[in-house]
Amino acid sequence: MRRYWNFLLLLVASMVLLAACSKNDSASSDKGEKVTLTAWAWNVNVGALKEAAKEFQQENPNIELKVEDIGRLDVYDKLSTGLAAGGTGLPDIVLVEDDRIHGYVEAFPKGFLNLSEKGFDKHADHFPQFKKDLTMVDGKFYAMPFDAGPTGMFYRKDLFEKAGVKAEEIETWDDFLEAGKKIKKATGAYAMPLDKFKDDPIFRMMLNQLGVYYFDKDGKIDLTNPKAVQAMEMLKKFDDAKLIKDVDGWNGVVSATVDGSVATIPFGAWYYGTIIDQAKDTKGKWGVFLLPAFEKGGNRAANLGGSSWMIPASTKHPEEAYKFLEFFSTTKEIQLMAMEKYGLFPSLSTAYDSELFTSGVEFFSGEKIWQLFANEMKDIPTAYYTNDYSIALDESIKAQADVFNGKDVKKALKEAAERIKARTKREINRY
Amino acid sequence: MSQRKLLQKIGLYAVLTVGVIISLFPFYWAMIGATNESGKMFSSTPTLVPGTKLIENITNLNESIGIGRVMFNSLFVAGTYTVLSLIICTMAAYAFAKFHFKGRNVIFTIFLLSMMIPYHATVIPLFKMMAAFGWLNTYKALILPNLAYPFAIFLMRQNMLAFPDALIEAARIDGAGEWRIFFRIVLPSMKPALAATAIFLFMYQWNSFLWPLIAVSSEEMYTFPVALSSLFGLSRIDYGQVMAGVTLATVPIIVFFLALQRHFISGMLGSAVK
Repeated sequence: MRRYWNFLLLLVASMVLLAACSKNDSASSDKGEKVTLTAWAWNVNVGALKEAAKEFQQENPNIELKVEDIGRLDVYDKLSTGLAAGGTGLPDIVLVEDDRIHGYVEAFPKGFLNLSEKGFDKHADHFPQFKKDLTMVDGKFYAMPFDAGPTGMFYRKDLFEKAGVKAEEIETWDDFLEAGKKIKKATGAYAMPLDKFKDDPIFRMMLNQLGVYYFDKDGKIDLTNPKAVQAMEMLKKFDDAKLIKDVDGWNGVVSATVDGSVATIPFGAWYYGTIIDQAKDTKGKWGVFLLPAFEKGGNRAANLGGSSWMIPASTKHPEEAYKFLEFFSTTKEIQLMAMEKYGLFPSLSTAYDSELFTSGVEFFSGEKIWQLFANEMKDIPTAYYTNDYSIALDESIKAQADVFNGKDVKKALKEAAERIKARTKREINRY
Repeated sequence: MSQRKLLQKIGLYAVLTVGVIISLFPFYWAMIGATNESGKMFSSTPTLVPGTKLIENITNLNESIGIGRVMFNSLFVAGTYTVLSLIICTMAAYAFAKFHFKGRNVIFTIFLLSMMIPYHATVIPLFKMMAAFGWLNTYKALILPNLAYPFAIFLMRQNMLAFPDALIEAARIDGAGEWRIFFRIVLPSMKPALAATAIFLFMYQWNSFLWPLIAVSSEEMYTFPVALSSLFGLSRIDYGQVMAGVTLATVPIIVFFLALQRHFISGMLGSAVK
């Protein structure tokens, strides 16, 4: 019998422990007028947010900010669940990547605050057009623009020098193709890293640069656009010349960056952070030039990545959340802090004339890379993502894989467009 | 003859050694990563010897996620869950195995079928339910929802089927109550199965990621996997921290397994002899 009692005791004890440990932390600790806002963000953004909150508190001692550090992709799982459950358990502020904003607003039209109604339109002039297009739905702001990813070619100066290639002479992708061949011959390094069968960032940068994307302005499938074909054909040329290093996912790109097996990495400005974190030994060996154009004098500006702040409509403190975000997004000093300490490239254009942007970067042997990126911002065309972006991305990657496996470019893209049509019921543009 | 046996043995051990190296290498690699600076593991000549940055990585990790707190959360949640779930599942299994009541097989089949529902499909309803109870962001939401775990019930029931009915009847005739039969007659002979199920439940809860991610939203309530996942941003990942975290996260499972290993293995052998 004793054993039986032991069991029951254990059961009861753990129940009691369970009840004792689950504290009742409801958010209603409104003593006086004090308001605590919660925010969801990931990684370096958390630090920037916390520091901004400290500044903000000096003028607004009654508003406190509690930031929860959540993995980048995990934020979306939590946000989608909360929205699907009618706004339960959501924070007052959430960071969302630009390629998902339209999707969220379309899927949950009442899920987020319309920031134009709160008066954010007056700041519109301080942000580049493409960023406005990404954060606005039907002409209204649903997100406050934060960081951006103006693209560039991060390149290894030592490898270029060894092959006798000059970065400033590379103007077109064809120039770069020739340069890549020379570099490979002289140093053995590939031109670019790419997870050939699982991701297509270079293709997306090229599309954006050419002013097209998976979808056009009206949400029609645009992969059949001659410019999309042109971009994919260019990528194919690099692969045919054996200049693309097939790597395994994100870690593979980082690996290729560190071990020097590729001479350039085309990515958004945020890749600076990865290089200085992971490849400390290569200090002074890096430079940046803009994406090559498709023809001489053509557009060399594009964007990859970037995120913005949204306010879920379920918030109990819309005024305070708006006030804080407005302070965060439109205060030059805050944006400079986020840039200097956390490498988050601002889209707030008033920040660009400060010293941080006009001076050289030590790790890049004194090159003024921030100025290069800042000057690029105004020329970046808008990419149209829609709420079917993830499907289009999936099919586009398959198309890229088909092309690398030898399928005709036009045919592969047309088939991808058909598959997107089947999955999304969207129309395909005819050319 | 004996020479052939010797050769066979050498061959067997060679194959086993290769297997051991293959399965141990990821652990070793994680430990190497944990003792080196982030980025080192990507260099063209990866180091295979431990570095000197272990303390630094663990300090940084502690700053990022608060190791003590998340370790406690995970241990508490997984430990409590294992105890409670083991009791509930064992009792349910006993009923399914040894009691004859109307609809027993139908209920049991429905239970088994519920294993086929993709977990993701249940997340939103469960989330709503927890919100209605006011349990979001509490240990209750982490521990209670999956206490009756179909596979554990199944595992225990299959083991109990082999328990001779004659013993139970004899006990009844001798005047033992049902509780007494369960705890004093049946359970003691189920130790190996209990150990196996306990390991299974502990691992299930320890590794559980999606539900803890959804159910809690403040950092003080994070379990280890959720906290580890927060180390992944878009472009800046400190691999030293990640690897230190991964290495730490495997320790409790190994300890738990080793503690129950003796029962576990004798359980497997036991059923082999039968």
